[in-house]
Amino acid sequence: MESPLTPYVPVAIVLFLAGAMAAAIPFIAGLLGPRSPSAVKSEIFEGGNPPIGSARQRFAVKFYVVALLFIVFDVEAVFLYPWAVNFQQLGWFGYATMAVFAATLVVALVYVWKKGALSWES
Amino acid sequence: MNIPHLTFQDLLPVAPAGVLVVGAIVLLLSEVFLSTAQRTYQAVIGTLTALLAGAVAMNNAFEPARAALQGYVVLDPFSQWMTVLVCLGTALASLLSAGFLNHRNAERGEFYALILFSAAGMSLLAMSAEFITLFINLEVLSISTYALTAFLRRGPRPAEAGFKYFILGAFSASLLLYGAALLYGATGSTRFLDVGLALPQAFAQQPGLVYAGFGLVLAGFAFKVAAVPFHMWTPDVYEGAPTPVTALMSAGVKAAAVVALVRTFLFLVKGLSPEVPFIAFSALALLSMVGGNLLALPQRNVKRMLAYSSIAHAGYLLLGVAALFAPATAKGSDAVGLFTATPLLGSMPNVAASVYKGLLFYLLGYTVTALGAFGTIAALERREDETRSNTWDLERFAGLAQRKPGWAAAMAAFMLSLGGVPPTVGFLGKLYLFGAAVDAGLLGLAVAGVLASVAGVYVYLRVVVYMYMRPAPADAPAPFRHWTTEVALIASAVAVVALGVLPGPVTEWFSRAGMVFGS
Repeated sequence: MESPLTPYVPVAIVLFLAGAMAAAIPFIAGLLGPRSPSAVKSEIFEGGNPPIGSARQRFAVKFYVVALLFIVFDVEAVFLYPWAVNFQQLGWFGYATMAVFAATLVVALVYVWKKGALSWES
Repeated sequence: MNIPHLTFQDLLPVAPAGVLVVGAIVLLLSEVFLSTAQRTYQAVIGTLTALLAGAVAMNNAFEPARAALQGYVVLDPFSQWMTVLVCLGTALASLLSAGFLNHRNAERGEFYALILFSAAGMSLLAMSAEFITLFINLEVLSISTYALTAFLRRGPRPAEAGFKYFILGAFSASLLLYGAALLYGATGSTRFLDVGLALPQAFAQQPGLVYAGFGLVLAGFAFKVAAVPFHMWTPDVYEGAPTPVTALMSAGVKAAAVVALVRTFLFLVKGLSPEVPFIAFSALALLSMVGGNLLALPQRNVKRMLAYSSIAHAGYLLLGVAALFAPATAKGSDAVGLFTATPLLGSMPNVAASVYKGLLFYLLGYTVTALGAFGTIAALERREDETRSNTWDLERFAGLAQRKPGWAAAMAAFMLSLGGVPPTVGFLGKLYLFGAAVDAGLLGLAVAGVLASVAGVYVYLRVVVYMYMRPAPADAPAPFRHWTTEVALIASAVAVVALGVLPGPVTEWFSRAGMVFGS
């Protein structure tokens, strides 16, 4: 009998494999990997920051600009993928729409570049 | 897949916004590629772009009303005339900003670009006929104005204003979005036309859902229009923002939000009884008219006083919106009322048409008057190098008539126009709007509005009294000199008086039938 869940069996297999790999890889790495511990390496990993200290420290505003730019181009990529998949059907209409969108972003990139937002040391 | 088929006709309604965006991009690039010390040219580019966009919109305003871009936007005279008014306000605001920013060493291309982006958002907001389009354009408009509010970032006031505006603006936008989501849940569509068609059945099944959706959408709009009791942010934000930006916010943002409000509710209540929105709009109008004028009374700070006055003016506009949903208007009665029959006002096809004319003419008058009034304040307010602390106090206007008679005369004209005293455009605007409200059967509300505006006249005349009847203090400040400010103020003052005496062709344009698509 065909269960309504049958089409989801491949998804379940992928989920299982992903979970199994996530569980297995740290274990295998611990088994096979060479070890040379140092004081810095043994610290708790916290995104590259010292893990202990005040949470209220100040960050350079440069990080914010980078994050903002990342979101802009990330969203562009999100739009580009479905557009590229449907490129044939969308035809010239899709091409023109995306050209306008991309051109606007290129102008924005030129602006932030000239403004110096991309240079880390200024 | 359904590929949209676009024609040139479809792009016509969004053409003014396109012109504004291209102008803004040119300004952004000019800022990074041409780094000269003298930046007045940026204000000129901004002004010319706005005027060009206004001309395009004016050309569109004579097209027959229709839906465009698959019903996501509409092309109708109401939204296009609104775009013309926004572009007019934008052009004046750019000119006023040049001198203002120049004296604060803050002239940047980004400022004008943000003004133009915000104007594009206003234009598109006015013609949106679908909830997602509406929301995106509301955000385009709002985010540009948040940034503009905090543009002079030194000092606590701009930061406070920008922060308050951002938090409350984001909150109100999410209210609107929540309301739209509920209406989508009730009807299964975001397009106003389809929502309007599906609403009667949805209302019969789940009236609570529809009421909640309506209420949240209305609250979101009321924040943007700054109607009492959603006005709390207005004085602080208007006071902290750069004065030319305050001018644009009080005229442009309000105009765009009122037009979007009218369009949304006209479509949505099509199959329902307009009684509930009518009561809601009447209550908002009454509260704003009375509240705005009364709150303005104790203010000695002229900029803050004008912020409260803008709340009162939002109330007058909402009176017009209420008139659109009044029982007499809703029946589509062709009965010609007391005011529509008089030769002074011309003959109108029906009550709704006279309300549209009143709203547009009122907005036109308010745009030129508010830009002029805030522009005069911008020229007189305290600059960074001054040590006195009375940044916007009435004292700064004392004796202006002896020192600078031209400035005093212009400011007097703006104040009289805000108060609705003839022969200014503010008087005619009130006459048309209140006349239309009386024809729609809102006699009581119109009387309340007139009484409230009498209280407002006291506020405006006090500025005139200070200018003409008080002696100037020894260290009286002089307005700064910059040709752009003078051009903008002369243009607004001439418009205030000329339109008040000879409204002629403008009222003809505003009184054509079929102002709003689908009404």
